[in-house]
Amino acid sequence: MFQYEKKLQYPVNIKNPNPKYAQIIISQFGGPDGELAASLRYLSQRFSMPYPELKGLLTDIGTEELAHLEMIGAIVYQLTRNLTIDEIKKSGFDTYFVDHTTGVYPVAASGAPFTAAYLQSKGDVITDLHEDLAAEQKARTTYDNILRLVDDPDVREPIKFLREREIVHYQRFGEGLRLATDKMNEKNFYAFNPSFDVQCNKNCFRRDNMKK
Amino acid sequence: MTDRETLLKKLSALQFAAWELHLYLDTHPDDCDALELQKKYNCKSKELAELFESKYGTLNHMSGSGEMWLKNPWPWDIKECAI
Repeated sequence: MFQYEKKLQYPVNIKNPNPKYAQIIISQFGGPDGELAASLRYLSQRFSMPYPELKGLLTDIGTEELAHLEMIGAIVYQLTRNLTIDEIKKSGFDTYFVDHTTGVYPVAASGAPFTAAYLQSKGDVITDLHEDLAAEQKARTTYDNILRLVDDPDVREPIKFLREREIVHYQRFGEGLRLATDKMNEKNFYAFNPSFDVQCNKNCFRRDNMKK
Repeated sequence: MTDRETLLKKLSALQFAAWELHLYLDTHPDDCDALELQKKYNCKSKELAELFESKYGTLNHMSGSGEMWLKNPWPWDIKECAI
């Protein structure tokens, strides 16, 4: 189950509203490499993960991504408060405003609404962990691009925190992948899927060979 | 920064350190030093969370409901509106 803690993982206090920034940053809420996709990806994939270390990793990182989703929502909310119609028209935020006013909706910066097609849950430990490693790097690149576009330090600080988390998660997933391949038969990483095929762990394999 | 914000920042820092070690321990479950350090951070954050909640209201449903839960600021509220 999940329980709510009434605080952000890292504080968000933005003094100056800026609808243009909000329109860019919302991509990390509901865009292709955003926090919602990340969370759903890991919290879905974890059910078919074969080893306790990987069940733990996917559960914990998937949970942290929900905290990141909340931070991005807070950033977008604070960037769009007290806007005048003139500011909305001039900034280009009008195309979002017409559909959602200043409500926070999971959408990419381009306007494409969130879709589960952004993620995969393949039921294969090697496949899923490679997707996860790629996802962390894609999110890191998106945060780098946001930092190229945004000058306000109030916005940059939480974005820099989130960028660093992608790097740590990438490191942990890399360790998870190494751990998985260590537990599987070295000659058959790609031939067997331990969450579907029964005898593919190193130890099972040895036992089989001994019987013969 | 208000006293509430300073205390919340300290609490967040401690909880973050414990969380970072928690993730590390998923892939290094036998690292005793990391386990010890994590215990230390968890202990300190529990103490500080109690202090924070006694002063500024509940952080989760386990430590209070109703007005206790509703009256303190929500995490996305902006500073000038915070009560």
